[in-house]
Amino acid sequence: MLLSPTRMNESAFSHGIDPPSPTLSARLRELADYLAAPMAGRLTEEQRALSLGIARRLVSDVAARLDHDIDAARLWDEWLVRGLPRTSRLAGICFARAEEHRWREQSAQQASPSPVSPEAGTAVAHEPADEPGPSDAERAYLALRIADRRRFDAFGNPALAIADLDADIFQGLLLDIAAWRLAEVSKDQKRAAALGDAVRAATEAQTSDGGITQAGVAYAEILGSERLADAAAAAIAGHDWPTLVALAAAVHRRAYDDMALALLTAETGALPSLLAPLRIDHAALAPLEASLAMLPARAAGESDLAGLPAGRDR
Amino acid sequence: MNERIIRGRIDRAGALVSADAPLLRLQQRAGSGLDKPLALPHLARLVTLALRLHRDISRPLYAADDHSDIHALVRITPDDEGASLEITDWRTRPIALPQMPPVAEDAAVPRSWTWECDQQLRMIALRGAPDAPALPSGWEGRSLSELFELQPDEEGRFAVLRALARQSRFEGQRVRTMITAMTLSGEALFDATGRFTGFRGLAVVAETQEPAEPKGGGARVDPAFGSLPLSDPQFGRRIDGALRGPLSRIIATAETISGQFDGPIRADYARYAGDIAHAGRHLLGLVDDLADLQNIERPGFKAAADEIDLGDLARRAVGLLGMKAEEKGIRIDAPRTDDRAPATGEFRRVLQVLLNLLGNAIRYSPEHSQIWIRVDRDGDRATVTVADQGQGIDAAQQAVVFEKFERLGRTDSGGSGLGLYIARRLARAMDGDLTVDSAPGQGARFTLSLPARDAE
Repeated sequence: MLLSPTRMNESAFSHGIDPPSPTLSARLRELADYLAAPMAGRLTEEQRALSLGIARRLVSDVAARLDHDIDAARLWDEWLVRGLPRTSRLAGICFARAEEHRWREQSAQQASPSPVSPEAGTAVAHEPADEPGPSDAERAYLALRIADRRRFDAFGNPALAIADLDADIFQGLLLDIAAWRLAEVSKDQKRAAALGDAVRAATEAQTSDGGITQAGVAYAEILGSERLADAAAAAIAGHDWPTLVALAAAVHRRAYDDMALALLTAETGALPSLLAPLRIDHAALAPLEASLAMLPARAAGESDLAGLPAGRDR
Repeated sequence: MNERIIRGRIDRAGALVSADAPLLRLQQRAGSGLDKPLALPHLARLVTLALRLHRDISRPLYAADDHSDIHALVRITPDDEGASLEITDWRTRPIALPQMPPVAEDAAVPRSWTWECDQQLRMIALRGAPDAPALPSGWEGRSLSELFELQPDEEGRFAVLRALARQSRFEGQRVRTMITAMTLSGEALFDATGRFTGFRGLAVVAETQEPAEPKGGGARVDPAFGSLPLSDPQFGRRIDGALRGPLSRIIATAETISGQFDGPIRADYARYAGDIAHAGRHLLGLVDDLADLQNIERPGFKAAADEIDLGDLARRAVGLLGMKAEEKGIRIDAPRTDDRAPATGEFRRVLQVLLNLLGNAIRYSPEHSQIWIRVDRDGDRATVTVADQGQGIDAAQQAVVFEKFERLGRTDSGGSGLGLYIARRLARAMDGDLTVDSAPGQGARFTLSLPARDAE
């Protein structure tokens, strides 16, 4: 009757008996994922917490657009128990925003220069011009900064601006939240009917808002090819990462979130080609490479995980 | 100084029996001296550890006197008579002034906006706390001085403009908006090249509209403070700001010591630190009360008329003070989640009144007793009642319990004697009232009534 260890392991899983609890089931899934790729980097607690917070704020913001009377905290609690809808789409945008936030926080903490060298930034393309009013480039840069600051909540926590959301994700979330709300107010036919109108109104309002991607495109267009490289180089020198990402997204015709994730997960050696359309001098990339290399638990290739400097092409 | 070795000697009882000048000076600044117990908690803890282990230990040492933080390395060599100390790499660093916390903490200030502007003072972010006044529309890209009408200080200066010239932080810039008077503070921002990129800070609603004060006019005489300058709003605000920071620091440090978060210390030292924290909290409460008193007694004080639910506010108050009640084994019977009493009043102020009533009930209730909170509606009034099983208040005391500085003969450090006075003033400022119903031995029932609102 002795069983081999292999046989024992199989017997624990393979009789078609459902695991007795969702927790056990989730843990077994996690373990199976781990066994399938033991060396793959997993989410850190910080990444998990940041992404979850961003998702929560997104759900609250979308719920507020739909109906201010929705108890967003209760909605979130219920979804936490049941599982969030549209997880695969949400995971991408929340993780991108979380990683960008980690990067910016780390950069801000490590840079903190002594504020004594005003001449250091004189080459910046968005420096105020001599003319009395702001130039077009200045206005576009201001709009970009405003669009970026909309990606934080009132407490300074990272968030996703509704204007930056893909229309499908936004609409899908609206409908999911509306369905949840409908179950609450189904007895009140007037309110239930108003929900449908609210979804339509919110969808139309979203398409009219401009997000950071559009602000980046507008800024890049005004800069033109001559000044684009200077502005991008100045953004790198000043660790102004949102401006860099927005300009890179504009020249690649990609969404800001996509571009941010592409940069954050690029191997160091791939950065010059990734940013080639910006025509930045290779030497000017050094602060960017250093900043990314120092970001712990980055979901990049092996060479970056080892913290190696650039030079894979040598 | 860094290369030098500073030596000292501790006897078996933990007294510093000899010390080089820097160490002795530190010991004296901490209120002790030669042949007296070591008054530097971190060093004392390390010495105890070395004596207990009967072996040399080398550790980083952190200490502080009244004007600098000290970082050093200490080597402690225990022997039969005590221990020898060798301190190297002694570095002093001025105590950093508290920097403005990141926006995350800023926004916890009630009734405030967080804002950020670029280097030309054009607004790039403006967000409001949930209870803050509505944000002005179209603020994006507008000049800070256009959005906020800057008010000069007593010397005719503008703190924000001076900070712009110096690229430094500022506070206390009084401003007016279309809606209300506010006070701005901000931290200068720089990018990685050292280029000034703007300011980020807070706009906090001033408690009352600033009355136009005649130049050179004397301070108003206050019935409580006589002609003390505390009745002058400017002086009061400065004192409030000047006291709050140091007191918070004292409390935080004392709590750290008392909680022995860095490791064990002598029980009596921990108790002293607990006493310091307790006294600090009392003083901070007094500062809060005095600031409130000054605000609500100012002519023209008016509370906001928010749509509130007394049931919800009562549950919030219980949530905030539940732990304190548990420490005394007191059970709070709070309104159920479906108990509603819609009313009109200022959310923050009503919560403040309820916290005062519930705090008093907990403080003066016997252990393992019960407190009831009930909400109700009586005609056009919505009411919330806090009842306890304390010793109660007789008729004579009820007549004076809402008086300023009245503590009913109590001398403990539990309160300033202003809480109930402020609570009733606030209730009346919201067209409501606060009453008490009690008899000796029967506990006390405080009832807050406010204008009722029809439920939606």
